[in-house]
Amino acid sequence: MSLPAQGQVEASELESRIDDSGADYEVNLESLSQWQLAWRKFKTHRLALIGLGILLVLFAVAIIGPILMPFVFNEIPKPDVKVYAGRPPSLQHWFGETGGLQRDVFMLVVNGARTSLLIGFSSMFIGVFIGTIVGSIAGYLGGFADNVLMRIVDVMLSLPLLFVILVASRFFGNGNVALIIIIFGLLSWMGISRLTRSLFLSIREREFIEAAKAVGVRDRRIIFRHILPNAVSPIVVSASLIIAGNIIGEAFVSFLGYGVNPIYPTWGNILSSALTFIPVGNWWWPFFPGLAIILTVLAVNFIGDGMRDALDPRSRA
Amino acid sequence: MTKYVIRRVVQAIPVLFGITIVVYAILLAAPGGPTARFANNPRVTLEDKEQFKKAWGLDQPIPVQYCRWIGACNPDVSGTVLGIFPPPAAFLGPTGWPNVLPSGISGATNGVLHGDFGVSVDSGEPVAARIARAALPTLILASTAFVIWITLAIVIGVYAAVRRYSLFDQFATVFAYVGFAMPTFWLGIMLIYIFSGPGLNILPAGGITTTRLSPPFGSDAYWVYFGQQPLTAIADIAKHLILPVITLVAVSVAGDSRFVRASMLEALNQDYVRTAKAKGLPGRTVTFKHAFRNALLPVVTNIGLEIPFLFTGAIATETIFSWPGIGKLTIDATREFDYPTLMGVLLITATITVMANLIADIAYAVVDPRIKY
Repeated sequence: MSLPAQGQVEASELESRIDDSGADYEVNLESLSQWQLAWRKFKTHRLALIGLGILLVLFAVAIIGPILMPFVFNEIPKPDVKVYAGRPPSLQHWFGETGGLQRDVFMLVVNGARTSLLIGFSSMFIGVFIGTIVGSIAGYLGGFADNVLMRIVDVMLSLPLLFVILVASRFFGNGNVALIIIIFGLLSWMGISRLTRSLFLSIREREFIEAAKAVGVRDRRIIFRHILPNAVSPIVVSASLIIAGNIIGEAFVSFLGYGVNPIYPTWGNILSSALTFIPVGNWWWPFFPGLAIILTVLAVNFIGDGMRDALDPRSRA
Repeated sequence: MTKYVIRRVVQAIPVLFGITIVVYAILLAAPGGPTARFANNPRVTLEDKEQFKKAWGLDQPIPVQYCRWIGACNPDVSGTVLGIFPPPAAFLGPTGWPNVLPSGISGATNGVLHGDFGVSVDSGEPVAARIARAALPTLILASTAFVIWITLAIVIGVYAAVRRYSLFDQFATVFAYVGFAMPTFWLGIMLIYIFSGPGLNILPAGGITTTRLSPPFGSDAYWVYFGQQPLTAIADIAKHLILPVITLVAVSVAGDSRFVRASMLEALNQDYVRTAKAKGLPGRTVTFKHAFRNALLPVVTNIGLEIPFLFTGAIATETIFSWPGIGKLTIDATREFDYPTLMGVLLITATITVMANLIADIAYAVVDPRIKY
């Protein structure tokens, strides 16, 4: 592994060393935490930085955008020219207009950013939370608990996720954003729990855990204070994949009309009737929300790649 | 080896059992139940709903319903124990043998175990017949996509690994990243605009056959027509296949070509490859005989694990292109709250997933002699 962290040497001890030798040399007292080291490494990953930039812009759009150009479901735009297919992108309507009601696609995409990102990130937190706990318990306790939990994971992973999400959103979702977040969260923990379990299985055999046990540290403290911090990096990386998957999944379910209620625009539900207007030549309506999804998922994946490199202790510079 | 296969098969049984419980639980927990589809129908009275429940056996306690659905209980034996559980007599089939056993012995025909998935509350047909009818289009679409997808993934992955950092490799990387980030349904919509929109209009936007040229696909009349003009019929299906196949393939190839590339790169870095090169073997032989065959090992497993995607990925593709397969059946059943059909589809796709995992594991043990079981 790498050098012992420089910060571990006590300052007083350093002073005494300097006194002993009497030599006048400079001591580099810079001590970096795990995250500072990771950030230093992350900064060298060009694509990851681009991804982070894109994501920050998207977040800004999601927060500020709907305030500047709010979406009002009952408000039907009164365009100066009525065109059934909607008008293509212009200076006035950057992303063009939808067919039929002629809503501004840019306004819809901006408002959709808020809901879509909210769903992608919140459901990831739920999934990671459940997955980490289940995986920790299974990996730490082993034996019967491990067997039961992992068979449950096997069963959940055998079910075609998209089918289950679709059915669950249709039956329980009610078009409600919070419920959709919970559904996606409850269906995205399995991978994380398998990963956490395998990490726990290897870490719990290490000497420092044995030492902690010998000193009489309680199980809960060993799990959360000793093992989990060492398992964080791979979990963080695969969490980024969940965000990407859930944003696409939500878009699909909402596109079919079983996800989020159209009162709250998401990148999926704003194109739910776009297919009807393809024959009359409206490409911009489905194109731009899809582009937003691709950009977000690309950004998240780039960041995930960057984090994988940055958090891997073997590659620490 | 035989022992390993038997052990893996035995391990799959509790998972399959768990799947039936989860599938049942999901739909049981759904608000409204199977009568939810009448919620907006003013002509269906409360009494009608009660009668509907009674006729479909939905007035029975849940364990009894489950037991009948799975095929372990005889639906002709009524009554309960403690008001919840099926009576012991219900476990015996019409011939007196346990109801779980195959129909030939027990005389029982009900339940999933006997191939009876119930009757669709939407169309009134047996669910098994509906699924069987939808299976053919899905198989046509999935197998075509599968062959092209595997071939492309291997060709692109191997070439990118052999010519690492070349222009081709970089192009493949960009393609993989973008393809991976692309929602399937969005790609489908864009392809429809490009190839069947008002501009080009050279390919059909949806369906499996051209409806004004032939009887509806799957009907008896269609097979008569198919027998008369097989070439025209196949060409027609092929034309309808192009866009859905591109949609399915583009997204899957993106991830898999990366996987093949990584696996091939690892194989190329092995000592035996260097030895083979040092011996003076021609580069082509080294690449294809030494590296490629070893690089295929992890790929085989990965392919097995991805077979289920052909069915779930098909939901999006089939919806966009109104392809009359399993995916579209799922969407229709979801819309209509058609519980028996949904349970059948979920159960069958989950079983396929378990089987695919099993086959992938066994295939890996077969192709890699180093695996100990």
